[in-house]
Amino acid sequence: MKTRMKEYRARLGLTQEKLAEIVGVRRETIIFLEKGKYNPSLKLAHGIARALEAGIEDIFILDDD
Amino acid sequence: MKTRCTLITYAVISLLGLMMMLARENVYVVLALVLGFLLLGHRELWSLVRYQRLPIIDDRVRENLSSAMRLTGGFFFIASIVLILLLRFDVFENTPTGLIISGLLVTVGFVYLVGYHYYDRVCPNLGERATHWLKICLLTAGLSLSTIALAIVLHNLVSAWFGFEDAFFFILGLLVAPAVLAASLLGSLAVFIKGLWASFNGVEQA
Repeated sequence: MKTRMKEYRARLGLTQEKLAEIVGVRRETIIFLEKGKYNPSLKLAHGIARALEAGIEDIFILDDD
Repeated sequence: MKTRCTLITYAVISLLGLMMMLARENVYVVLALVLGFLLLGHRELWSLVRYQRLPIIDDRVRENLSSAMRLTGGFFFIASIVLILLLRFDVFENTPTGLIISGLLVTVGFVYLVGYHYYDRVCPNLGERATHWLKICLLTAGLSLSTIALAIVLHNLVSAWFGFEDAFFFILGLLVAPAVLAASLLGSLAVFIKGLWASFNGVEQA
């Protein structure tokens, strides 16, 4: 899964730590999400999308292969 | 804040009390207790020292904690069986049982620590090749450890049955297998550190 979290986060001027604080997760979780090395739960994906003021499908892009 | 202070005070008082009670009987147990407390509570202790709050438990942490607990449980089960077998054959001779059990408990705590950090930071950063190498190294380490135990038992048995000092199992158990164990552990450590190092990439300084 690809994510555009970093791009949306930069647009809002949020740091990884600040975003982690808003959605209630550890900073490491945000790091691995941004690297595409962790698949979030629907609840977490929803929380991140809301914090980044975008839709889930705008931020998390599922690879076809 | 009030709850956290109560929790810490409770932990410290009970730990001190337990240490004082146990210190009268067995110093190894006290050491194991302190080390175990540090190993099992390292996340909480670090977070309290560094950020003055208890660590966040999110979905990912929960998954990693249960994986580490499963790994630790499996290790404890296997290690206990090996230890019982070794005690049965009187391999440790005059070593105090308290020391042996304390050693096992500390090792279990250490496995939990390594396991948690493996699932939390190392595993997501390892490529297929590195994971393959890590598996080989760990498998070799496990096999050489079993070889050491088996060779010691067989050395004692052969020496007792045939009445001469066996050299083959002695060299295998005390020279070859430990060397292979050390090499495989070093290999695993190298892969582990590589994965851990990679986990720091992508970290923004706030």
